[in-house]
Amino acid sequence: MSAVLPIADRRLVVRAARRLLAADRRTVVLMLVLNALAALAGLGGPWLLGRIIDTVTGGHGAGRVDRLALAVLACAVAQMLLSRYALTVGYRFGERTAARIREEFLRRSLDLPAAVAERVPAGDLTARGTTDVDAVATTLRDSLPVVFISVVQMLLIVVAVVVVSPPLGVAGLLGFSGIWFVTRWYLRRARAAYLREGAANSVMADELAATTTGARTIEAFDLRERRLTRGHAAIAETRRTRLATLGLRSVFFPLVEMSYVLPVVLVLLIGGRLYFAGSVTLGTVAAALLYLRQLVGPLDNIMLTIEQLQSSAASFARVEGLAAVPADGTRAIRAPDGDRIEVRAVRYAYESGPDVLHDVDLTVRPGERLAIVGLSGAGKSTLARLIAGVDRPDAGSVTVGGVPIADLPPDELRRQVVLVTQEHHVFRESLRENLMVAAPDDVLRRALKSVGADWADDLDRDLGEDPPSGGEAQQLALARVVLADPHTVILDEATALLDPTAARSAERALAAVLHDRTVIAIAHRLETSHDADRVAVMDGGRIIELGSHDELLEADGPYAALWRTWHGT
Amino acid sequence: MSVDIRGPARYLWWLARQLKGRVLLGAMFGSLWFASLALTPYLLSQAIDRGLGPRRPVALLAWTAAVLLIGLSSAGLGIMRHRSMTKLRLAAALRTADAVLRHAIRLGAALPRRVTSGEVVTIGIADVWTIGRAMNVVGVGVASVLAYAVVAVLLFRTSPLLAVVVLAGVPVLALAVGPLLVRVQAAGARYRRRQGALAAQLVDVLTGLRILNGLGGKEGHLARYRSSSAGLRDLGYRVGRASSWVGALGEGLPGVFLAVVIWLAARQAAAGELTTGELIAVYGYTAMLVIPVNVMIFCGFDVTRGLVAARHVVAFLRLPPDEVAGRPAPDRPAVLHDPVSGVSAEPGRLTALASARPADAAAVLERLGRYGPTDATWGGVRLDSIARDEVRSRILVAEHEADLFADPLRDVVAGRDTPEQERFRAAIEAAAARDVGEPDHPVEWGGRNLSGGQRQRVRLARALYQQAEMLLAAEPTSAVDAHTEAAIAGRLRAARAARGTVVATTSPALLDRADVVHYLVDGRVAATGSHRDLLRTAPGYVRLVARVFGEDPA
Repeated sequence: MSAVLPIADRRLVVRAARRLLAADRRTVVLMLVLNALAALAGLGGPWLLGRIIDTVTGGHGAGRVDRLALAVLACAVAQMLLSRYALTVGYRFGERTAARIREEFLRRSLDLPAAVAERVPAGDLTARGTTDVDAVATTLRDSLPVVFISVVQMLLIVVAVVVVSPPLGVAGLLGFSGIWFVTRWYLRRARAAYLREGAANSVMADELAATTTGARTIEAFDLRERRLTRGHAAIAETRRTRLATLGLRSVFFPLVEMSYVLPVVLVLLIGGRLYFAGSVTLGTVAAALLYLRQLVGPLDNIMLTIEQLQSSAASFARVEGLAAVPADGTRAIRAPDGDRIEVRAVRYAYESGPDVLHDVDLTVRPGERLAIVGLSGAGKSTLARLIAGVDRPDAGSVTVGGVPIADLPPDELRRQVVLVTQEHHVFRESLRENLMVAAPDDVLRRALKSVGADWADDLDRDLGEDPPSGGEAQQLALARVVLADPHTVILDEATALLDPTAARSAERALAAVLHDRTVIAIAHRLETSHDADRVAVMDGGRIIELGSHDELLEADGPYAALWRTWHGT
Repeated sequence: MSVDIRGPARYLWWLARQLKGRVLLGAMFGSLWFASLALTPYLLSQAIDRGLGPRRPVALLAWTAAVLLIGLSSAGLGIMRHRSMTKLRLAAALRTADAVLRHAIRLGAALPRRVTSGEVVTIGIADVWTIGRAMNVVGVGVASVLAYAVVAVLLFRTSPLLAVVVLAGVPVLALAVGPLLVRVQAAGARYRRRQGALAAQLVDVLTGLRILNGLGGKEGHLARYRSSSAGLRDLGYRVGRASSWVGALGEGLPGVFLAVVIWLAARQAAAGELTTGELIAVYGYTAMLVIPVNVMIFCGFDVTRGLVAARHVVAFLRLPPDEVAGRPAPDRPAVLHDPVSGVSAEPGRLTALASARPADAAAVLERLGRYGPTDATWGGVRLDSIARDEVRSRILVAEHEADLFADPLRDVVAGRDTPEQERFRAAIEAAAARDVGEPDHPVEWGGRNLSGGQRQRVRLARALYQQAEMLLAAEPTSAVDAHTEAAIAGRLRAARAARGTVVATTSPALLDRADVVHYLVDGRVAATGSHRDLLRTAPGYVRLVARVFGEDPA
């Protein structure tokens, strides 16, 4: 039962990027201006050095050399200060944009339709929210300002070298053109290779973690050799993937570096011809040479981060993928008329799999205790999720008071039906926040007391720092239900994971919660069905028996047979 | 040669010695690469002075060819340096990972008592790679010192005055930026911790998404996340202010210094003491020298951090394993007895422990299985005096939360053995685990891709597959539904026929099948008998096993 979250296509990614730039338009403009000024100041050095050479070869005095050299110094200082401001603005832009992206991500996650949120693989959403969001943020913060400054520098250097001497400039640029092809070759392969490397890294860390946490199991079952073999396989895979990315770099780096020397050679040769012909000065050739060598710095900066840029673009596409999830369509237009829950001719299948529910009909009478029993895979939990409004049936209807349950907005839904499962998440927040409703403290305390949570007198207790025990967490989950105050509670094996004592006190607490409410219990222990008003027996996605415990025993069908095996009579 | 764990520095030195071939290659290629970088400005200056300046085309061609050649070799040497250093770092990291893995396995059950798994995971994720990077110092670190010396010689030949200024100035620059870099890195570490906390907050909310969808309260979480996110952003602004200085000074100060050097050089050139080419060469050397000096600074950081990481690794590798030797085990199946609780388990019989506190029953199993301190006996002999591996191979403790490792289902169940089809099928059948999947169904670590009930049944199938002489199983059916529990209870006896079994359970279905049931109160046997006897004679036992929905039985 998993659905895959979409990944944003190129169009969506571009639109999202534009939106982020537009949100901070003034900063972006400021960043551009500062970077351009810093790069201009950087261009002063080589040009002035060219003039110095001409001055020296022309035999002019030391005074002129001093003035030119002072100007070189002034350029260097100006470049340093301007770069500093450009970087500050860049970092601020990156930081602000990263915050926007992660906050937007959480907002979208919270807005995901319940059925989607239930079905995306647990790891996918959190991986996007942590690994991908962090990758984008790191790039925005650490790399993008540097890349930005490098790109502006490169553009200006190119302009400068062409201005100094058009033929030399063109020759130099032609020399660099190979980089384009090498980079394309590299990028086409790099991403997959680095992803494999990352995956192998985490497998190795996982193997170590598994071997450590499972140390007792390894000893009990004598899995030492096996674990060692697996660990070594993970280490070998890490080595293999690292060598694979090294292989790619072994082609990419030298080719790029060779491209750095070509322009110098071209300028020397062509510059020589032009100088011999008297059409340029020696200083011009020197300046062009220095400019071209200056290009190496920013180019290196870009080459070193280009793979990171590419992979964070992919991360960004995954983060923005949430925007492509269609919103939950229909919303109920009227409030439910009464508490009666009706399931009519319901069919349901996960994704494109086979139906797990076939034509299920069930009327839940207000105030009754209904137990649902059946083997694992009989469709009990699926039925519970449909009644709780988590999922929509593929065919048929599930309604409360005549309104489809899945159409109810969350605030309305929780006053109608609440599903309690064995997975009760405790947020790393204060106890008060964990109760999920804004209510006066005495109301919260009363709710906690009613479920027997004697430990819970300090509402400010930080449950992240000081987590509750399993039994306490269960009571917390029940207190939430008391506060939500629904007329129907669905218990899906709510106490199955607790030890007997904790289960007993939880069940006592449940009695307080369930008093005067409709209860649908997915039965774990058969005593549950014994005490229920009616029992529904499910098998293969159908309700095959329905009636009171005594009626079903009398009918001597599957339920009666189960009861007997379980009781050994 | 065994691992040197006398200290972090010794450990790093040991690694370097183990990998001395790669270290030498790294240092050699690093030095040659630096030499090629230093040679480029020299050749360029010669091309200008001997070819271009005096208008000698042949000389220009020859020197240009030399520039091209050195450029190409520089690219080749650069990648050889990168390759040899990457392999050196990788080998150091993976050797460390291997040593940690081996030691973790040697420690076995002693490990959880000596160290938290978080510490070992940190070693695996971060420390091994940090140790790898520490190897930089013996490769390119050595090379950068050499490079510095070579440039010193070249500059000295051009102009002693400039040589002194440049060689003294560059380290001063490095030292000026260094402390700032340390501060930025400290602030960066603080930022990453906050970032980690923010990510944890996000994961917390996302994990609770199902509850938020059912019970509401999303706005509060979003607001709290936004305020934490804003806090991180503001901290980021502060880090950014500091690191923008590092970025600007790191690139800019060498530029300023270069301007000063050019000034001096230009005056010398104007006075005729330097040629034009030499002027350009000085420019080139000074610009190039920034690289080895930066390498030296970063090597310093790498070693500092590498020592911290190595301290973690050495501390782990020093943990002593438990004593495993001892006398031989009884030569045939024998009674296990735990004097603390009074529990006895006969060979070949199904014994059940029923306790209101599962921890009490688990502690009994722990003692009977020779984990931790124990007074238990096996055939009258103290268990802790018997060789550990003999006990492990004959008495199997199947813990409630025993780990599942990532493997195909068949291998998970077969454990250390090569899977046998018939035995696998029987174990799966007895544990009612057919719904888990085909034999080659991949099980993830911890059974993350299985439901709670499936995980429990796979654990049971694995325990049954071993066909141990004595099986001690804690709560083997607590997470499965009533139908399945009944099925397992029926099959367990047959699966363990003629072998001894102890189960800790409160399930009536299982208790009813046991040959003998010990009812434990406060960790001691309060009553012993068959399930039905106890139902008649022990009221507390009745309350324990016959829990009723929503209320206590009258």
